[in-house]
Amino acid sequence: MPVIATRGATVSYGGRAVVRGVDLAVESGEAVAVMGANGSGKSTLVKAVVGLAPLAAGAIELFGVPQRRFRNWKRVGYVPQRTGAASGVPATAAEVVAQGRLGHRLIGLPARRGDRAAVARSLEEVGLAGHAHCSVDTLSGGQQQRVLIARALATDPELLIMDEPTVGVDAETQAALAAVVADRVDAGCAVLLVTHELGPLTDRLDRAVVLADGRVVHDGEPPRPVGEHADPRHQHAHPHANGEDTDDLWGGK
Amino acid sequence: MNLDMSIFGYEFMQRALISALAVGLCAPAVGVFLVQKRLALIGDGLGHIALTGVAIGFLTGGAPMWTTLATTIAASVVMELLRSHSKTSGDVALAMMFYGGIAGGVYLTGIASDKGVANLQQYLFGSLLTAGWDEVWTIAVGGAAVALLMLVLRPWMSAIATDEQYARVAGLPVAGLNLLLLMTTAVVVSVSMRAVGLLLVSALLVIPVVTVQQFTRSFRATMHGGMAAGLLIAGAGVVASAVQDVPPGATIVLIGVACFVVTATAAALVRRVRRTWRRHLPPEGEPLEVELPRAEPSPGG
Repeated sequence: MPVIATRGATVSYGGRAVVRGVDLAVESGEAVAVMGANGSGKSTLVKAVVGLAPLAAGAIELFGVPQRRFRNWKRVGYVPQRTGAASGVPATAAEVVAQGRLGHRLIGLPARRGDRAAVARSLEEVGLAGHAHCSVDTLSGGQQQRVLIARALATDPELLIMDEPTVGVDAETQAALAAVVADRVDAGCAVLLVTHELGPLTDRLDRAVVLADGRVVHDGEPPRPVGEHADPRHQHAHPHANGEDTDDLWGGK
Repeated sequence: MNLDMSIFGYEFMQRALISALAVGLCAPAVGVFLVQKRLALIGDGLGHIALTGVAIGFLTGGAPMWTTLATTIAASVVMELLRSHSKTSGDVALAMMFYGGIAGGVYLTGIASDKGVANLQQYLFGSLLTAGWDEVWTIAVGGAAVALLMLVLRPWMSAIATDEQYARVAGLPVAGLNLLLLMTTAVVVSVSMRAVGLLLVSALLVIPVVTVQQFTRSFRATMHGGMAAGLLIAGAGVVASAVQDVPPGATIVLIGVACFVVTATAAALVRRVRRTWRRHLPPEGEPLEVELPRAEPSPGG
């Protein structure tokens, strides 16, 4: 039974179809990247999978349950696209990560030992154990992204969905992300992530689904980097340096 | 000091102090989520709607606090439905509350002409000193209930206030919590109108929170600090107004504004001092481009 199954998924914004008839299946223990140029509908597809964008046609199932009737959201770890704006009231990294445990807690009851342990373990996993009590506003963009990843990990997900986790982050965060994906896949978790560029993730992925204009144009082997990026010793020290190559693979922009 | 104590020998001063402290404690407990949600003006919006509620009380002969509570809760439900189910943006809905609330209040008071618009003034600007004991207990119990509810629900409320979309995917009852937040705001507005008045009620929701968040790092500290600051500001306001014989609501708000201006200035100065101080240290974490012109001539970097 696939963890995610979409059949003919179509999403429209204001009458214009952004995602058109996408069929996608992700099994447990599988890591799949959704790729494509800006405006290809890849973020919208993922938003539809988690129920943040309404389907105009087609069907989506999560763990074999139609998504509209799916209630067991604590099995899903979601990393939204990071917005640049700082939040109004300060919050520590541990407080943000603790939001990932709320699905496990009965409303109004205090956190139990298991919840606190999960928060500490998740922060540790993304390399931010020492920053648990720092205000999120004072962290770098990459560190903030890792806090959001830790929040998704805190729920002990069987399905991890990440929207553009690699945008504007440093090499350390890219490496942490690749390690997290590898660990989770080994633990039998399904991973679906939206990205422009694969970077250090390339070898950890089982498949890449490439969207263009809302349709699937490729579903299979992740695209290999070309030129000097194909060199296994090549270090992606500059996260933005390989953007052009990957974009070129789908016909520019 | 002796003067202060002697004032509190009067029962009306004890009543005023108890209600002000209750409001000072509960308003920031709700306000911290409103600030986080960027709904800081919602308290003012509901305050304007509450005016219609007071006028309904005049018209029907009911107790204004209860008619106000009913009206503001109804308004908050409508507001939340508008916000979540229609394309009406938050500030348009808010603008409608501002106009509609005032107009409804003045119109209905006009119909109930025996009470007169002048009577509305004690609800507009607060009249702590004329509250009776039963009213004070309603304020205290309502305020304590709101504060307790918000303290218990803090993790859930802060999750929906910080990132509603994430909260939805995490499976939280987002719609219910949003509605609960607006309804508790309505309760706070209704119980605080005696203390600070409907036109100033938003100040106690917002000022203590934005004052302490200049120096706090965590949401929890901001919430607890905000409640403590609210308590202090409200208490100081009542004492100061009694000593000088001026309206307590305005005094409370002015003290709050002064606290905010002082802390915001101090926080800005601290940040500035830290930045200039850091400029003399190795530019760790500073943008490299800034340092390049000076670094380039030296060989080997």
